Amino acid sequence: GQEKTSSDPAAQTQQSYQWKMVTSWPKNFPGLGRAPETFSEYVEKMSGGRLTVKVYGAGELVPGFEVFDAVSQGTVQMGHSGAYYWKGKAAAAQIFTTIPFGMNAQETNAWLHYGGGMELWREVYKPFGLIPFAGGNTGVQMAGWFKKEINSIEDIQGLKMRIPGLGGEVFKKLGGIPVALTGGELFTSLQSGAIDATEWVGPYNDLAFGLYKAADYYYYSGWHEPGPVLEFIVNEDAFNALPKDLQAIVEVATRAVNQDMLDEYTARNNTAMQSLKDTHNVDMRALPADVMKALKLASTEVMQEQSALDATFKKVYESYSEFQNKVSQYHQISEHEYYKNRSVQN
Amino acid sequence: MNSSSLTTGLQHKIDLVHQSLCKLVSWFTLFMVLITFLIVVLRYGFNLGWIAMQESVMYLHATVFLLGAAHTLKVNEHVRVDIFYRQMSQKKKAWVDTLGTLLLLMPVNCFILALSFDYVIKSWQILESSPQAGGLAFVFVLKTLILLFAVSMNLQGLAELIRNILIIKHSQKIDEADKGEV
Amino acid sequence: MEYISLLMFVVVCAVLLLGFPVAYSLAGTALIFAGVGVMTGGFESAYLHALPSRLYGIVTNQTLIAVPLFVFMGVVLEKSKVAENLLNAMTQLFGQYRGGLAISVILVGALLAASTGIVGATVVTMGLLSLPTMLKQGYAPSFATGSICATGTLGQIIPPSIALVLLGDVLSSAYQKAQLNMGIFSPESVSVGDLFVGAIVPGMILVSLYLLYVVMVTWFQPHKVPKVAPQASNVSIPQLLNALLPPLVLIFLVLGAILGGFATPTEAAGVGATGALVLALIQKQLSLTKLKEVMLNTTKVTSMVFLILIGASIFSLVFRGYGGEELIEQLFNSLPGGVFTAVLLVMVVIFVLGFILDFIEITFVVVPLVAPVLLAMGIDPIWLGIMIAVNLQTSFLTPPFGFALFYLRGVAPKSVKTTDIYKGVLPFIAIQIMLLIAMAKWPNLVTWLPENLYG
Ligand code: NA
Ligand code: NA
Repeated sequence: GQEKTSSDPAAQTQQSYQWKMVTSWPKNFPGLGRAPETFSEYVEKMSGGRLTVKVYGAGELVPGFEVFDAVSQGTVQMGHSGAYYWKGKAAAAQIFTTIPFGMNAQETNAWLHYGGGMELWREVYKPFGLIPFAGGNTGVQMAGWFKKEINSIEDIQGLKMRIPGLGGEVFKKLGGIPVALTGGELFTSLQSGAIDATEWVGPYNDLAFGLYKAADYYYYSGWHEPGPVLEFIVNEDAFNALPKDLQAIVEVATRAVNQDMLDEYTARNNTAMQSLKDTHNVDMRALPADVMKALKLASTEVMQEQSALDATFKKVYESYSEFQNKVSQYHQISEHEYYKNRSVQN
Repeated sequence: MNSSSLTTGLQHKIDLVHQSLCKLVSWFTLFMVLITFLIVVLRYGFNLGWIAMQESVMYLHATVFLLGAAHTLKVNEHVRVDIFYRQMSQKKKAWVDTLGTLLLLMPVNCFILALSFDYVIKSWQILESSPQAGGLAFVFVLKTLILLFAVSMNLQGLAELIRNILIIKHSQKIDEADKGEV
Repeated sequence: MEYISLLMFVVVCAVLLLGFPVAYSLAGTALIFAGVGVMTGGFESAYLHALPSRLYGIVTNQTLIAVPLFVFMGVVLEKSKVAENLLNAMTQLFGQYRGGLAISVILVGALLAASTGIVGATVVTMGLLSLPTMLKQGYAPSFATGSICATGTLGQIIPPSIALVLLGDVLSSAYQKAQLNMGIFSPESVSVGDLFVGAIVPGMILVSLYLLYVVMVTWFQPHKVPKVAPQASNVSIPQLLNALLPPLVLIFLVLGAILGGFATPTEAAGVGATGALVLALIQKQLSLTKLKEVMLNTTKVTSMVFLILIGASIFSLVFRGYGGEELIEQLFNSLPGGVFTAVLLVMVVIFVLGFILDFIEITFVVVPLVAPVLLAMGIDPIWLGIMIAVNLQTSFLTPPFGFALFYLRGVAPKSVKTTDIYKGVLPFIAIQIMLLIAMAKWPNLVTWLPENLYG
């Protein structure tokens, strides 16, 4: 029996484990959806086949928004998703993905792994019997696709945009109308003008989705999602049932995928951007400075309002913003300064 | 009172409760129509919009079909493949419905009930709210409808069982009487 | 293990034929299979634990909210006598021409079908309203019943249509899946709106062909079509407009709201339903009693549809647990002749299933299994959706099991023989098959409008 072998280390290494992983994206969806497959390949290779993970796309076993519950209940052993989908279960979860005008990928990873972020994340998920791991990052996203020019704050007023999450709340503060839409309705609605704008991901995914066919202006930067972290969630009991070496393999594989996705996006986004500009003649623009400023102010307000509503949210947000404050000071004189210097024309 | 009239009484009570319930939730279809229209008018006429309002239509919709299903069963409007069924005698139909209720309907509802119970309780424990910013905060209520659905369908199943067994018994009596006459 | 999924499919067909409600036949049979599998170790019980999440997914599915809204609209039109008024006016207008009544029936049926989209409702309403009149005027019973049946099924294909709403939902996820399986990471989407637009040209062709057929019968088989009713020519223009406008306004409202960017397809359904209410009020056809009937009918139809969805979801969960999907993929991959054979096979299978299953069941049980494989072969999803819709429409007309035939048989007078109905629909079936062949030969019939409408 299994109970007997678990006390005997030599026998334990012989035992094999078959896991299932549900995800919030269609299988192999560019970027996001590749991560679960990559994870599965890594784990199988590293463990010599002792741990295999079968990946299910959104809706195959459970709908995309049910990943959390399915892993929490132990229906499957793990999932790949985004923490901000679980806002309704724990408000603080949103912060582990990203917040408007928050940290970029590099900084968020630093906060999570060396700034106390991961401990807080584990704490928030503990009551659900889940262990979270960072599971990829898209890098700074784009502000989105607009059918109308945005020249001033007035242009935001009455603008109908698909923009979920905290970004949507901020957008609403400036007089915009956030609209909830399903993926299937999104493209048609933008094309027909039922909505004026949508955010999606970045050039790589947006090009593939064909959004340039539905809207003329592609605005940057993604103030609302500056470096969204995706997540692997593992059922606590399932994880504890693994021998130490397989546990380590799971953990290391998530770290590898977390970095791998950022690398892929960085490489693909820049080639996709060229294609959007040159082949599809997309008008790429920066949002005007005063619009950005208004969005920033509104973001601070929204974050304060949310903190007042939920103690855990407040605690996590304080840790996050304290880290952001310090890391931006350093990045001001390192990354930021360097970007400036290297772009000087000789 | 004998046991037969007791069970018939129970069957009538179940029928009546579900009929009232269905009539009540049927108003929600009207609200769905009007709210959806209002969403469009407010958004395109007045530049106003709330995610909570969009979600309210979903809540009404869920209530309509989950709580209206039992009475729909009573009035026999759940679609059947009736190529053979429509030509069967009353008694044969009653047999199909009795066996179907016992072997298909009731197990399925019990199964939904058993598997969804924890799922719903967990939602109550955290008073789960909308995954959407600005959405409604009653996801736990929405999930509870799944349990209510399974319970009400099983109750209606019981009523159908009583009705059909009575039909079978009754037609047996008639059969016997017919034989007696011959 | 995979062959158990096949056995399950065969068994469920047998169970369905017994006549117990479809939803529970699907779910119950699947559960019995799962239960036996769990006990014998052939089925992993973890699959079953996905059930609450799947149910909640159905409860919160935003696209499907269009279903009760469209049903509401259809029931309001039915109860408010819009169809009756329209038919009376048209009959008076065309009554003095040979075949005029048949042409009226087809035109009215098309308008009614367009605005409701409920096949049963259209066939029954048209049957009740026009069959007695047609027979009294001396139309051959076969010709009369054939026209009514065929027209009644137009609701499937002429947008807005619930059949297309449901198909759109299933196809959009199948399309995503197929593209990603193909390895070409271009997850474009197909929406309910796309299907609506794609259905416009084929729908118009179908109505035109029906009319052409009536004209030809009038010409070549005049004994089937009486010349009639000289007294019936005194319809006033306002009367006609009064009758003709309501359905036109509704179609315009719904399609206009979608195409003009005023609403998403789901919201457009709400706009249409509100429009129907307003029309009924204006025509003084909406009492509180009638409103209550409308709401109750809508509730019952909605419950029926969604219960089948739940049943189909449980069925497909168990089917997947037994490896059924892999089996279907293998089947298609080993087919000789490639795309054409695959499409033909699927179309024949759907046609045959259309005899015993309602379009809802086919949409939710069969389409999710076959569509990803077909779409992965590079087939256009809008084209596939319309082909399936027309195919099902044909199937519902085809003797001896076609659903439309049952509905009409239910309301036709005893003097009309069932064989009359069967004979009457045959030419219309031929027309439908011609359209299917034409769409297969010239896919542009479907894809041209969606491609060019949005520029
Ligand atoms: Na985004
Ligand atoms: Na229609």
